[in-house]
Amino acid sequence: MKLKDGILKVLLLAAIIAIVVAASGCAQKEAPAETATPAETVETEAAKEIVIGVTDKVTDLDPSNAYDFYTWEVMNNVMGGLMRYKPGTTEIEPYLAESYEVQDNGKVYIFKLRKDLKFADGTPCTAQDVVRSIKRVMEINGDPAWLVTDFVEDVEAVDDYTVKFTLKTPVSYFLALLATPPYFPVHPAYKANEIDPDQTAGGVGPYRIVKWVRDQELILEANPYFFGEKPKTERIIVRFYQDATTLRLAVERGDVDIAWRTLTPVDLESLKQNPKLKVIEAPGAYIRYIVVNVAMEPTNEKLVRKAIAAAVDRNDIAQRVYMGTVEPLYTLIPMGMWGHKSVFDKYGDGNIELAKELLAQAGYDENNKLKVELWWTPTHYGDTEKDLAQVLKEQLEATGVIEVELKSAEWSTYVDYLRKGAMMLSLLGWYPDYLDPDDYTTPFLKSGSNKWLGNGYSNPEMDELLDKAAASTDINERTKYYEQAQDILAEDVPIIPLIQGKLYVVANKDISGITLDPTMIFRYWLLEWET
Amino acid sequence: MPSLKTYIITRALTVLPTVLILLTVVFFILRVLPGDPIAAMVGQKVPPEVLEKMREEAGLNKPLIVQYVDYLSSVFRGDLGKSMIWGKRPVIDEIMDRFPATLELTIFGFALSVLIGLITGSIAAFRRGSAIDTSMRIYSIVAYTLFIPWFGMLLQMVFGIYLGMFPIGGRIDPGLEPARITGLYVVDSLLTLNFDSLSSALLHLFLPSLTLGIVLSGAYTRLVRNNLIDVLSQDFILAYRARGIRSSKIAFHAMKNAFIPVITLMGLQFAILLAGAVLTETTFSWPGMGTFLLERIQYRDYTSVQGAIVFYALFVALISLIVDVIYALVDPRIRY
Repeated sequence: MKLKDGILKVLLLAAIIAIVVAASGCAQKEAPAETATPAETVETEAAKEIVIGVTDKVTDLDPSNAYDFYTWEVMNNVMGGLMRYKPGTTEIEPYLAESYEVQDNGKVYIFKLRKDLKFADGTPCTAQDVVRSIKRVMEINGDPAWLVTDFVEDVEAVDDYTVKFTLKTPVSYFLALLATPPYFPVHPAYKANEIDPDQTAGGVGPYRIVKWVRDQELILEANPYFFGEKPKTERIIVRFYQDATTLRLAVERGDVDIAWRTLTPVDLESLKQNPKLKVIEAPGAYIRYIVVNVAMEPTNEKLVRKAIAAAVDRNDIAQRVYMGTVEPLYTLIPMGMWGHKSVFDKYGDGNIELAKELLAQAGYDENNKLKVELWWTPTHYGDTEKDLAQVLKEQLEATGVIEVELKSAEWSTYVDYLRKGAMMLSLLGWYPDYLDPDDYTTPFLKSGSNKWLGNGYSNPEMDELLDKAAASTDINERTKYYEQAQDILAEDVPIIPLIQGKLYVVANKDISGITLDPTMIFRYWLLEWET
Repeated sequence: MPSLKTYIITRALTVLPTVLILLTVVFFILRVLPGDPIAAMVGQKVPPEVLEKMREEAGLNKPLIVQYVDYLSSVFRGDLGKSMIWGKRPVIDEIMDRFPATLELTIFGFALSVLIGLITGSIAAFRRGSAIDTSMRIYSIVAYTLFIPWFGMLLQMVFGIYLGMFPIGGRIDPGLEPARITGLYVVDSLLTLNFDSLSSALLHLFLPSLTLGIVLSGAYTRLVRNNLIDVLSQDFILAYRARGIRSSKIAFHAMKNAFIPVITLMGLQFAILLAGAVLTETTFSWPGMGTFLLERIQYRDYTSVQGAIVFYALFVALISLIVDVIYALVDPRIRY
């Protein structure tokens, strides 16, 4: 009897454990559609696949809500818009559209779609799909929806292959906006008016998603119904890593064929010595800068802001903090983009004398030091951020007249303080949404559009210039406006540009087709093994 | 004398206030901390009015006490809510995506730690006073003080890079995930007789569980050694010896008795596994609960953090309940 009781108790316990284990699996909703890939198939097809390692993550596989660099990259490989950036350039060309015409002084755009557009399962993609997808983005109103709602008054399907956009006001860079994911047509499987974060049906693009295990892997296969040239590699596998160190070890070990974003400068330096790998470098459109609060004492004083701008030494930052993996930047519009004008070089780099002179004019000297707070965040810009803050402190204090107090906060707190205008000097970074000088000026310098910076900057002359630049269709005229706006930026100093990032890819020596350009989008379909 | 059933029910009921207190503390701590989940997540250009609308949708504009009552009522309905960021997925889906990974790592790390602890502790006890004993004691101290990321990276360098024997990150090779039944890759591979997946899953598990196992084993080594020495000096062992009973049989009886306090430690260790798992998971890019929780705390994703902690609390409480019951079954001196 006693023995029987004992067995029952053990069985009960086993049952509890089994329930816990089963619960961990059963409560899970259906995993994304799986395509069986026996190991032997992987072996024999190894040459037809490339494994890419990243430290980024895919957030929502839904263009109505995804608003981060890496998810946009995936979308650019499994979807496409009416227009796109020609790979390797910043030139816009028709993609899903065959042609387009502009009417009503830039207020109306009419696009003729290709007639052979199909989603990855063979479903035809028509003008109605384009309209449905864009209206869906407007309806859901997720993070990136402003890229549509700020500009588009209405979008309609004139017939099966004609899409008509009516804009709120003429926008010179509208074609560039069309190359962003909120404008990409999505498969009808996407939920109508609700974010569909795990949806893998995709859109019209060179690849289709055959497997996605959140935070682990993403498997893409060439889309058999794609209208364009077939991808050079049939299968792309993306593996997700938690940190740069593991990613670096993975590429050294051969677990991944390509290590993409983001390795540290030290890792890059060391991997350059590895004979099995190649390190490819390209200019990026990523910038870093200091936000200066013009509504807070003592940085409300223009002389003080100018003095800080003079004391900053960008070359020193590029070398000491980033080991030469970035370039000094002297304005907000990155180098390589039209409209760029290096306006901050008038202050020089690490120009202690000028800084002291300006501070003296503002009433500060070695006995009456200028005290400033410099904020940085430890979790958002990688391991080098602390060094950046420390080097800036050293540079400012080298004047002997400035005393810097470093302050840090986690990202959520940081952006909260930023929007509330609670930080005096703060370090930030920017990835472009679309490649146009407007994306590097209006959000930072135009009253109202720059509320998120919390630095209180407003200048009616600047606002007028930016409005004119956005509305004009003449590139020469626009260039003139942006140059004037940058001159005012250097005079008012509400932001101090620091550096422009470069892009690095570490890849197996036998892989070719790595095409990087300022769009920073990695085109997987161009990659291939050299035979 | 109360029955085992009464004991289990009473013991289970004590879980409720524990979880309730934890839930309340986490709820208020998250909200007292500075940082706005909505602002942290959305793109920088989103206009303030949209931010306000999103805050309203998330219920963050309601008075704190109303949010608390809403939250409690949904938890008691079994609804952990939706994440505030990235697609606003149901928290339970987010947890279930990652929990099997942590559970699998925990089970292997845990089993390895007990195994290593039992072996090293027994060797030390049976060779008391010898050089082996001393080295085992040193091992236990060193293991206990190892810093997981450092040690993990060392193993990655040696076994992953130089020897090329084991993968250094992830849970399984791409494309080899077994069909999902429990979410534990080893179990699912066995159930579906997918041996390629099984070997890949085991290879991926090796380094992270070894790291976790060795670090956790130090405490067991010490405990097993001390208990075994204690038991070996007791009268009944002497009596066995006097009767000429085989040493192996004596060792078995001694270990059975020395194992009882180890069970208690096992229960406690499960609770602290979370901390160890966060570091191990980060070092080995293991897509589990630890990294999830860490990431969501950074983004102040209140619902996900709360959900994960409640889930963990219930899980740990359940494990400790099971341990208590096993303890009661194993040790005949325990009465209810």
